Order: sequence, then structure tokens, then C-alpha cells
Amino acid sequence: MSKLVGLFSGAVSGGRGRRVGLYVVLYALAILAALALSALLVVLATDASPWSVFKAMYDGSLRDGAAFGLSLDEATPLLVVALGTILATRCGIINIGQEGQLIIGATFATWVALEFPGGGFPAIAATMLVAALGGALWAGIAAVLRFTRKVDVVISTLLMNFIAAEVVSFAVNRAYLLRETSVGGQLTVPQSDRIPENTRLPRIGHFPDFNVSTGVFLAIVLTAVIAVVVVRTRWGFRLRMLGMNPMAAASAGVSVAAVGATALILSGAFAGVAGGVMLTGTAFRLQPGFSQSVGYDGLLVALIARGSPIACVPVAFFFGVLRAGGGFLASTGVPRYLVNIVQSLLVLAALFPPVFLGLRERRKQLARARAAARMSDASVDTELVPA
Amino acid sequence: MASVVNERPSGAAMGGGSPPPVAAVELRGITKRFGDVVACDAVDLAVARGEIHGLLGQNGAGKSTLMKILLGLHNADAGQILVSGRPVVVKDPLVAASMGIAMVHQHFSVIGALRVWENVTLGERGRVDPKRAARHVREIGERYGLAVDPQARIEDLTTGQRQRVEIIKCLRRNPDILVLDEPTSVLTLAESQDLFGVLRRVVQEESRAVVLISHKLDEVLHATDKVTIMRDGAVVARHRTADTDASELAREMVGREVSLRSTAGAALGVVVDDAAAEADAAARAVRSAREVVLAIDDAHAKSSDGRRLLDGLTLDVRRGEILGLAGVEGNGQAALGLLLSSVLPLDRGTVSVSGEVVRTGKPGAMLRAGVGVIPEDRHECGCVLDMTVAENLVLADIDTVSSGVFVNTRLMRERAAELIERFSIKTPSPDTLMRQLSGGNQQRVVIARELSRGPKVLVAAQPTHGLDVGAIEFVAEQLRAAADAGVAVLLISTELEEILALADRVAVINSGRIMGVLDRADVELERLGLMLGGRAA
Repeated sequence: MSKLVGLFSGAVSGGRGRRVGLYVVLYALAILAALALSALLVVLATDASPWSVFKAMYDGSLRDGAAFGLSLDEATPLLVVALGTILATRCGIINIGQEGQLIIGATFATWVALEFPGGGFPAIAATMLVAALGGALWAGIAAVLRFTRKVDVVISTLLMNFIAAEVVSFAVNRAYLLRETSVGGQLTVPQSDRIPENTRLPRIGHFPDFNVSTGVFLAIVLTAVIAVVVVRTRWGFRLRMLGMNPMAAASAGVSVAAVGATALILSGAFAGVAGGVMLTGTAFRLQPGFSQSVGYDGLLVALIARGSPIACVPVAFFFGVLRAGGGFLASTGVPRYLVNIVQSLLVLAALFPPVFLGLRERRKQLARARAAARMSDASVDTELVPA
Repeated sequence: MASVVNERPSGAAMGGGSPPPVAAVELRGITKRFGDVVACDAVDLAVARGEIHGLLGQNGAGKSTLMKILLGLHNADAGQILVSGRPVVVKDPLVAASMGIAMVHQHFSVIGALRVWENVTLGERGRVDPKRAARHVREIGERYGLAVDPQARIEDLTTGQRQRVEIIKCLRRNPDILVLDEPTSVLTLAESQDLFGVLRRVVQEESRAVVLISHKLDEVLHATDKVTIMRDGAVVARHRTADTDASELAREMVGREVSLRSTAGAALGVVVDDAAAEADAAARAVRSAREVVLAIDDAHAKSSDGRRLLDGLTLDVRRGEILGLAGVEGNGQAALGLLLSSVLPLDRGTVSVSGEVVRTGKPGAMLRAGVGVIPEDRHECGCVLDMTVAENLVLADIDTVSSGVFVNTRLMRERAAELIERFSIKTPSPDTLMRQLSGGNQQRVVIARELSRGPKVLVAAQPTHGLDVGAIEFVAEQLRAAADAGVAVLLISTELEEILALADRVAVINSGRIMGVLDRADVELERLGLMLGGRAA
């Protein structure tokens, strides 16, 4: 675990010297506290020993090549979602609809993978492209609502997650859409057919050794692309300007609607690609509940990485480890709810240090501002009654 | 807070008849400095019961500071405050309130989501009885003619109604001395007249004292009994309102001593002899022969809450001239700045640059037409504090330092180094964050950026606001140099001295329209004062 702590804190701390030290200590304390609390819960709720629980999480995520590959597979879509999220947040748009955009992307991808004549690279490329299109379309609705009718993006994207879930459920319940084909009068369940072997992302390595889907390389390439786009391109310049000062950006001729809508739509496209990666890399078929909260977790990854595409890589891996370890833990008989709690506690621990330091900084600033106000110009709340 | 009720214990009994000999409130020798600036310089002011006292002056004359001292928002460096003849120390607003001093601020402090009665009782301690509070609001409203529904939400009210709520809030606390800061700046004419009716009743029937801070000549003449005129932190004149007129007030408000220090100002300044007059006439002929570059025609615009920002504004700026737009703050200058930054769309009217009509409110349209803007609020519109100096120098011209889709960092840094040198921007490096520069250097960055784009029109809105002397000189030199190089410069400023020192022509804005345009040489302070005060001249 200590390895994890170091990895994680090293990745997200941007400062130097004392600040890095402070972060390391805070992360260590927060994660220790989360582990202690988890141990307590395990002891109270089950007869398993807390040690065995942590060991199971380790075994499932990091112990050997296969487990490590599983963590990477779990991290891949999270990273892709997080990259898209960063595009939106960098220009000041809060997209929280990745979950919906992801499953709509996966739905579109399923249809293409099942229908595309022949397999191989063209099929996979087409699948990914259409997955991106699906996510972009879903985010595009929010973009149109925002920039023509001023509908709040947070609200529209969130609500459209629920609609997306219903759309998928509808699609896999209709034989003329995506419900699996009945072979010889067999009963079918509401899920799609498995996509053909030749439309799946190739895997590197074989069980029980290290093995991983090639989707991880796609994610790494996308990370590099986003890092360059945001910092080095004209469009990225406008994006950042818009995020940091919309008024100045508008005065400098940046179209808030055009750049903002593009960023939102692209962030949806990334979520869609994440759905495509999950479908062609690990899941191979569409079901209700397909997304397994990858959209929400990806959003969290982006938040913890605080807008840095590079920092998303280790953070996404941390989440991948939690998901892989949690899955293994559940398979050892520990109740799923407990696994979820343990995972959530660790995520909270990861969120704690930056939030804590931010709050502390804010309190300091407030105190300073108050002192300054007392010294010279007081505020206008004079409407107080005599005591 | 059961004691806060409407029954006046003693004050009402004294009302009606002749005012008592002791002033309700008297300020003696009040002095207040902010750093090197003397906001109030040994100011004396006495306001009697049963009197509406006008406090007239331009921006920065010290009116508001004086009243904030009375309210306990500022503490005076020297001087004394007497309430009903008794010396008091008003150390904070709570003390002021306990002595019956209340103020209606220019910027309202009501909460939009709350109801009227909730806003009125806000800040009171103890249990609040909604029914009682609502009844009070209604009673006060009926007594003073301030009708407003106690159950209405503030956000559903008009600006005039919101102000009524503010006044009710004050009157409910039963003040002896009521101060109103520029109360009509947000009101329509009819609303203003209603307001003055209310104030008249307050002083006549209940013998309260009212101080009305204003820069509008008409309203001072119509609504007050006495008037005190302030300029540069000192009292310059006192009158019984009946004994004075608009011209006299205008002259006193603007003042006689106008700075002629700058060379530009001296060249175009007050006519001293025939040679100068001839030179001036020649210069004028040359200027008026030049083509109009920026033409704003019949511009109308409203704010999102329905206030009128621009009301038929028409203005021409010619090539190579500095047109100074004078006016008291809040008369549409900000809207004009936003209009020329492509942020504010017009409801009616046009803006054209070199004869071409430019679409308003379309991002970048003004910029592409050749309009450069040094915005009033440089932090909000002029720069991005969390970007580097180099990035801020190319905000609008990122395309000129790009190769393909990529920003060419080398080109950007070269450009930055050149501009930093040319405009003497003091920064550790081009990669320093804008946030870390001083205000004067931030302004240099903005000016450098706008001028390096080779604009046809340069709009400078309050360009020296908050800068030190060195930076102010730099800005003035740059504006003059730009005009000499053929740029049409529109200088928007509330500092009359700045305008008179720099401008070739002077226009005056009031309530979103131009009251008149004068050649610098024809500027008579009385006319200027009348126009500033909202009278056509």
C-alpha cells in the first residue's frame, strides 16, 4: 500500500519542497485513516479478518501480472473519460453526464460492431468512431440547450444520464434493436449479442501471465494528444482563456458559444470512446448497467487530477486498482456493499488532502480580507439594528 | 426586537413647527486621508431637522466618504460629529444606527430570493413575527406613499420598488437622520418624483433630517432646502437652494482651476491671445476635415434587468483626435465600453468603423473592425490573471504567433520581449503570471497589446484609474502618441481634469445619451457643469 501512497501523492502534488512533503504526509494519513475505518467495518460486519480483506484487494489488483493487467484494463476507460472531462472543465463547463454519454457511445458501438461487414482494423476503427459520435451526440444535446436556451449544463448532463440508461434498456429489450438473437427458440435475456471476435481490441499476453487490452495504448496516445492540445495549440489557448476569464475571452474575440460547445461535445465524444473501449476491450456485449459507474469515476479522476491530463494517468491507475481489487474482494465472499464502502473510503482519502489545503488557504484569505476591511473600507452591511 | 416599532416616542411631537435651534447633525472639521489622497479636508456640514440638505459634487469630491464617516463605515482622522448638539463617537454602523442615523446606499443591499418583509427584518435579532412584520411594511408604505407588497419577492420587483424596500427598511428603524446616496441614479423620472414626495413628507410632517447626495442639478434644485457643494474633498460653497440657480451650482461643482499642465492641454487650452486663437482655429479646421473613423448612431441598449443603459447615444470620433467623454459615473460609460468590446448588443442603432457597419454583440467583431479597447475593469475584461505576461500580450492575436494549429512559443516570446522593451513593462520574465504584476504594469500590458495591433480606433475607459503618477503619465503619453499617429482615440473618463488635459474635443454623457460636444477651446466650465448635471447646454 505504501507504494500506492507514494505513487499517488507524487503524481498530483504540483508544488515543491515543503508543499510536496505536506501532501505526502496528508495522503499517508488520509489513506491510513480510510484503511483503519475499513478494517473496523470488516470486523464489525463479517467474521473475516481485516488483513485478509486488504490482502484480497492487493491480490486482485497488483500481486501478479494478470492482476496488474486487470487494473490497467479497469483504468483505461476511466482515463479516457477523465481526459474528455478536462477539456470541458478547462473552459469552465461542468459536464457530469459522462455516464450517459459513455453508454450511448457503447450502444452505438455495439450496433456497428454487430453489423459491420468483416472484422479487423476497419471494423474496430469504425466502432470507435461511431462510439465517439454517440457520446458527442448525447453531449451535443446539452450543448445546444446551453447555448441556445441557456439551460444549465450541470443539470442537463446529469438528467440525461438517466435518460441514457432508459434508452439502453429499451434497445436491449427490443429484438428489432439490440436484444440478443434467439437460437432455436431459446429464451433470451435483455442484453445484446456478443460482438464478433474479430471486432474486439487485440490483447497482449495470455492468462495467467500479464495480459492487457490494447485499449490502454489508445488511452495513452489520447493523453498525449490532449496534453498537447490544451497547452500548445491555438484552440487550447482559447479554451484556457475562456475557462480563466470568459469576459476577457469574449472581448478578445473568442466565441464563448463555439469554443464552449465544441469542448462539451468533445468531452462527450471521449466518454463515448471510453464506452467503445469497454465494449471492444473487456465487456463484449451491451447490458443494462454496462457502465458500472465508469463515467462518474472518470469524472472523479479528472477532479483529483485537477485539470492536468498527465496527472490523470496515475490517478486513473489508482482507481483501476481499487476497481480490480474490489472485484476480487467481492469474489472472495465479502459482501458487495462492504467492498463499495471500502472503495469509497479510499476515494475520499484521495480527495481529502487538496480539499483540506484549499479550505485552509481560503480561510486564511478570508481572515486577511476581513482584517483589511476592518482597517480601511468596511462593507456595506450597515443595516443592523441597535442591540 | 419589540422596540423597533413605528410609534415615534418624542420626535414626532416636535414636528410641524419651526425647526429647533440645534442642528440634528453637525460635522465639524472632518478630515479623512486614504494614503496620500485627502478624501475629506476639514469639512463642516450642519443639517437641521425638517430640512432636506443636498450634497452636490462630482465623482471623488468626497461626498460619499463624508457620509460613510457619519455612518461609522469609515473613521475620521480628525474632526467631530455632533448629534442634536451632543458630541458623539461613531465608531461603527451599529453606533450610528443606535443614534438614529440611517443610509440608503446607491447599490442596494437587498436579497433577491427573499420576500419584502424578510428583507426588511433582516439583521434584526430575536423572534420575527411574519404577520407583524408584513403589517408594518404595509403601514409604513401607506403612511409615506411607498406602496409595495410585503409578500413579493425582491427579484420580481422593479428597481424603483427595490429602492422603496430599502427606504422602508430604514424608516422602520425610525431614524432621525436619513442619508440617501445618489438615490435617483437607477430610477425613472416618475419614480424620482415619487421619491422626492416621500422625502418631503418625512421632513415636513415628522421633522427628520435628510441628506441627499447627488450630482444632478435639477434634482438638487427641486428637492432640497439647502445645498452644500463639495469639490476635491472640501466644501466650496453653501446656499439656500432658493437663492441659487443651475449655472452657479454647475460652476461651483466643476470648479475654475483646470489643469493646463500637459503640453497638449496648453496647446489647445484656454485662448490667451490672438495668435493662439488663430493657431487653434487652424488646428480645428484641420481636424474637422479629417474623416470620421468611429461613428455611433442612435444607440439604444438595455441591461438584463430592464434598465436603460444607452438611450439614443450618437457620437463621432475622427482620425487623429482624442475625443474625451466626460460624465458622472454610471451614466452609460460602462455600457459604451462593453459595446465597443463586442460584449453588449444594441437594441437599436448602429456602430460603424470607417463607414462599415459592425455587428454588435458578436465576439471579436469590433476587434476585427479595428477597435482596440483598454477596458475600464482590466481584471475583468482586459487580461487573464492566471496566464503569463507573454500570453496576455497576444490574447486576441494568437493567430499571428502560430504555425498551423500550434502556438509558436518562440514567436510568442519574441513578440513579448519586444513589447516589454517598447512599453517598459516591469516583469521578471515573459513567463511571469499576470497576477504577479503591479496594477500599473498590468495596464501597460493591456495598452501594449492594444496598440501593437495597429488599431483604427482606441477606446480607453478610465485608463488611469487606480494607477500611480508615473503610470498615469505613461498612459497619457501613449494616448497622445496614438492620436498623433492617426488613431481615433475615445477617452472615457470621470476625471474632468484628465479629459481637459488630453482631449481635442469634449463630449458629455448623461443617462445614456450625449448632452453635447464642445471643442476643447470652447469649453466653458459652466456649460460643462450644466451638461454633467443633465441639462442640455
